[in-house]
Amino acid sequence: MRELELYFGPQHLGMVGNFSITLKVEGDRILKAYANPGYLHRGFEKLMELRSWIQNFTLVCRINVVEPDSMEMIYAMGVEKLANIEVPERAHYIRSIYLELARVGSHLFGLWAYANMLGFDTVAQWAMYHRDLILDLFEELTGGRTYHIYIWPGGVRRDFPNGFKEKIVKTLHSIGSCVPDYNSTFFNNRLFVNRAKGIGTVTRKEAIDMGATGQVLRATGMKYDIRKVESYAAYDKVDWEVPIREDGDAYSRILVIRDEMIESVHMIFKLLEAMPEGEVYNRIPNPFKWTISNNDAYVRCESSRGELGLYIVSNGDNKPYRVHFRTPSYPHGLTILEKALENASIADVGNIMISLYVVAPEIDR
Amino acid sequence: MNHSLIEKIKSFFTEIQVDLREEDRIVLTAKQESAMAVLSFLKDMGFNHLALISCVDWINENKFELVYILSAYMQEDEQYNPDRDKINIILKTKISREKPQFLSVIPIFKNAEPYEREIHELFGVHFVGHPRLTPLLLCKEYKIPPFRKDFDTRDYVKNFFEKIPFVQEKAKK
Repeated sequence: MRELELYFGPQHLGMVGNFSITLKVEGDRILKAYANPGYLHRGFEKLMELRSWIQNFTLVCRINVVEPDSMEMIYAMGVEKLANIEVPERAHYIRSIYLELARVGSHLFGLWAYANMLGFDTVAQWAMYHRDLILDLFEELTGGRTYHIYIWPGGVRRDFPNGFKEKIVKTLHSIGSCVPDYNSTFFNNRLFVNRAKGIGTVTRKEAIDMGATGQVLRATGMKYDIRKVESYAAYDKVDWEVPIREDGDAYSRILVIRDEMIESVHMIFKLLEAMPEGEVYNRIPNPFKWTISNNDAYVRCESSRGELGLYIVSNGDNKPYRVHFRTPSYPHGLTILEKALENASIADVGNIMISLYVVAPEIDR
Repeated sequence: MNHSLIEKIKSFFTEIQVDLREEDRIVLTAKQESAMAVLSFLKDMGFNHLALISCVDWINENKFELVYILSAYMQEDEQYNPDRDKINIILKTKISREKPQFLSVIPIFKNAEPYEREIHELFGVHFVGHPRLTPLLLCKEYKIPPFRKDFDTRDYVKNFFEKIPFVQEKAKK
């Protein structure tokens, strides 16, 4: 049969985000796939070298559009490590609760993308509605819906408003009560299971060789989660489990994502109960005159997609000398995607890509 | 764990500078010639996760610094091992800025491929043995690779965007 070259994205119904894949196909089979990122390259890492330590927060949270909160967290962690800033106990708890809320929101957004692409419009609308409820919480807490800039070196910008705890519980209960509906219409639906089972399989060995983290790795049975491995914020203060699956295919990955959402909600309840009273913010020096001495650091945290790292270098100036983000979508979307698409069918390309949970802006930065 | 590991590294490689920071960050500074051997040694020691390859442009020293960050995945059916899991190894090696060239680490770590492509594009470092050093993020070539310190973004914006005829006409009005 004749070999053809096929362009999948950036403008394609099955493509979520500004990303494209060049496919070499023979009939319906994919022989080779080449990922083409760069449609959203804004050069943030270069621009950050020209802005002061605090100004950079506006850029950092735009690196991952879907989940800006863990980007704020990693940058704040990096700056804290370079400048040796302590964070109060209560702020650790607030950060954890805030990040878990963001994780649920981000997973619901991912669920929207997945369901929408496969034509499960009802589920997609539910997921979007439930994400909106979480955005309402963020709006009350920070004033912004998508980009919050709430985490700050030295803590968080302000404490929870009055009655906010009860609002979180109420919202999460109303989302959680819909889990059986999600299960019957999507996760256990034969139409979905038959499409997702057995495609895009990544074995444990391949995942390790190609630098996978997050759901891609946990779907192959390894309990690797930075929140456990190198605990930060208040994640070591409460008891929680890392959900895993064994098969490594698209279906396992989406089940890991579902279980993780449920686990996050339980974790938020535990954190809310254990939260101590006290200060939420340690003062930092005047941001306009703040310089950090010669140093470099690598910090990492678990974003909703896997290991998020930051290598940050200071040369004693009021700006970073170099920042480099290790985003989880980078190996997932470039190395693993190309491997997982080999021998797949053209109809499964979007399915595999979304199940790997790739967000294009995170790759391009 | 940390101290025995550091001893081991020191006994195998003589010309290496080891620096332990806060118990879980080991910073190794190696010579260009031994960096590859150190990487493959560390992989055999169980640090099989290459998290990041980064590059820093030390323009005053006329050097590029390549930074490899490694950590360890968990072993088969293993519980958490706080001693080892927390460790991140940061391997630094400096290369000349005049003719920046280094060996590709793809034979050791498969996922190095896009990182090296990116550094080649943004810093102009050539990786010997890399199968496709094609552009990754940018749509055109620049005289000075844009992430080098001597690439002036403000100057570039002025020269590039203000010469677009539409913008020039608007400025006249």
